[in-house]
Amino acid sequence: MRRAMPARRSATRLLAMAGGMALGLLASPARTADVEYGKHLSAECITCHGASKSDSTIPDIHGLGEAHFVEVLRAYRAKALPNPVMQSIAVRLGDEEISALAAYYTTAKRPK
Amino acid sequence: MTNITRRHFGIMAGASLSALGLPILSAPSLAQGKPRVVVIGGGPGGATAARYIAKESNGAIDVTLIEPLKTFTTCFFSNLYVGGFRDYKSLTHNYDKVRKGGVKVVHSMAASIDRDKKQVVLAGGGRVPYDRLLVAPGIDIKFDSVPGYSEKAAEVMPHAWKPGAQTQLLVKKLNALKDGDQIVMIAPPNPYRCPPGPYERVSMFAHVLKKKGFKKSRIVILDPKPAFSKQGVFTEGWEKHYPGMIEWQDPKIHGGIKGVDAKTGEVKTDFTNYKPALVNVIPAQMAGKIARDAGLANQSGFCPIDAASMKSTVDPNIFVVGDASIAGEMPKSAFSANSQAKVAAMVIRAELTKSRAFPARYSNTCWSLIAPDDNIKVGASYEPVDGAIKASNSFVSQRNESADLRKQNYKESVDWYQGITTDIFG
Ligand SMILES: Cc1cc2nc3c(=O)[nH]c(=O)nc-3n(C[C@H](O)[C@H](O)[C@H](O)COP(=O)(O)OP(=O)(O)OC[C@H]3O[C@@H](n4cnc5c(N)ncnc54)[C@H](O)[C@@H]3O)c2cc1C
Ligand code: HEC
Repeated sequence: MRRAMPARRSATRLLAMAGGMALGLLASPARTADVEYGKHLSAECITCHGASKSDSTIPDIHGLGEAHFVEVLRAYRAKALPNPVMQSIAVRLGDEEISALAAYYTTAKRPK
Repeated sequence: MTNITRRHFGIMAGASLSALGLPILSAPSLAQGKPRVVVIGGGPGGATAARYIAKESNGAIDVTLIEPLKTFTTCFFSNLYVGGFRDYKSLTHNYDKVRKGGVKVVHSMAASIDRDKKQVVLAGGGRVPYDRLLVAPGIDIKFDSVPGYSEKAAEVMPHAWKPGAQTQLLVKKLNALKDGDQIVMIAPPNPYRCPPGPYERVSMFAHVLKKKGFKKSRIVILDPKPAFSKQGVFTEGWEKHYPGMIEWQDPKIHGGIKGVDAKTGEVKTDFTNYKPALVNVIPAQMAGKIARDAGLANQSGFCPIDAASMKSTVDPNIFVVGDASIAGEMPKSAFSANSQAKVAAMVIRAELTKSRAFPARYSNTCWSLIAPDDNIKVGASYEPVDGAIKASNSFVSQRNESADLRKQNYKESVDWYQGITTDIFG
């Protein structure tokens, strides 16, 4: 079931069910996101996400869009998305960390 | 550490590294030119650290990596080579991109560390000075932990716990087995590199025997431990895929491992004499010789470190990462080594160039293949708590999971291998 439904879509649907208020909140990541901090935090992500291609099971997380990125990470953090690997990563990310990562990954280039 | 917000930390770190609990060291004198970092060992720990320091300092730090091997074959995924899922070449990496990333790679053995002069002495006699040294030599095998075993005996009874010829010998012997032949594995005592590794390997042995249609061959694991990593799910998988083929014996069952005889091929326990066609002996382990000789290890044979920085507790100019270190609750894995290397690289860079430092965070996941598309995982996040690295948010595969989930795990592990080897070697 999980495999047939990409994290992106399931997260969006899930949040839509939670109501517009939540969506409104999630659509506006913090303005003051610290990109340098995001880059630092991204070192943890690279180990798994660093060589992803379009058909990878560990998805490419570059250029997802800030709002979507924040939404998905918060969903893993809330264990509303099931993969324990990403839950364990997301549980210790505060809102500030998630915003910093989102800001970094929105603009960062894939490593070559 | 956990309740310090990053913002506070940034300010603290900006003010002084002592906020991290690190001793403040005099910055290397500018008259000597760029600060110099030397890294011993080009595995997951050392190569990651060298690449990150070079990359993140944008050339402000002079980085030298000392590693005798021109190509590095990973131990991780070597079990998939044993099982016939990967070829040997796909596990072998070179240092071309490490070099391109601004690291000087010296293919030599480091013979010793002159801690007073802050120099590494090369096997050829040359000396390489450092301001900070990162030591990541991996493990040495304690051959004498199994009576009768030795480096020579390993040519007949491979350990294959270091990559290269040993792994190839193991595979050659496995592929030469006939139906009815027995395999005995002597599993290692804690702590050792890759806690689920021996049991994944046994799974791959069983897969090969099953694929050949063997009905009579049996595998015996003689374990000095009363329990092992992911035991419940491994055992369930063995019963499902290889019923009756694998027998695991804890000390209560075998009564004690008495030793091996490479000449006769025998393995003796308190209760039984075995004469298997293939013996895989995985002895106890300790930090690589260079670290022990330099006095960086304690009586356990491994090197104590500061949990917030991976700095040696013995010498403030030296960091130890990877299998050689005592990293609290983190298992000895390539994932851990890579994660620790990034923390050490950040702290080294902050000390030498006054760049920003952030609180240490570590992570690890270990995937293990039981049978085709049946893969289990275990993992956690880690951080320093009261001076030791502690796990949080840990998870482990459960019994009775769907085949889809196990197949997804397998695909994740393949992507992870690609990701981490790119992170380590470029
Ligand atoms: C069968 C098996 C399966 C495994 N599976 C996994 C897995 O699925 N996932 C995972 O994360 N981990 C796995 N591991 C564990 C992983 O391989 C190790 O934890 C990892 O390699 C440790 O990295 P390291 O950098 O500390 O040491 P190493 O990889 O041992 O690298 C050390 C390097 O230092 C060099 N060196 C040593 N002494 C000197 C010296 N004096 N001078 C210069 N260079 C020196 C060596 O040549 C070597 O290249 C597995 C291990 C085994 C055996
Ligand atoms: C141990 C491996 C691992 C690490 C480390 C890791 N991830 Fe993931 N990530 C995964 C896997 C596996 C998935 C797919 C999860 C699923 O099936 O829901 C995923 C999915 C994601 C997604 C969803 C992408 C999408 O398009 O839906 C995002 C976003 C993400 N990760 C961000 C991160 C960030 C940010 C980090 C670092 C803080 C990180 N990950 C670290 C393994 C990892």
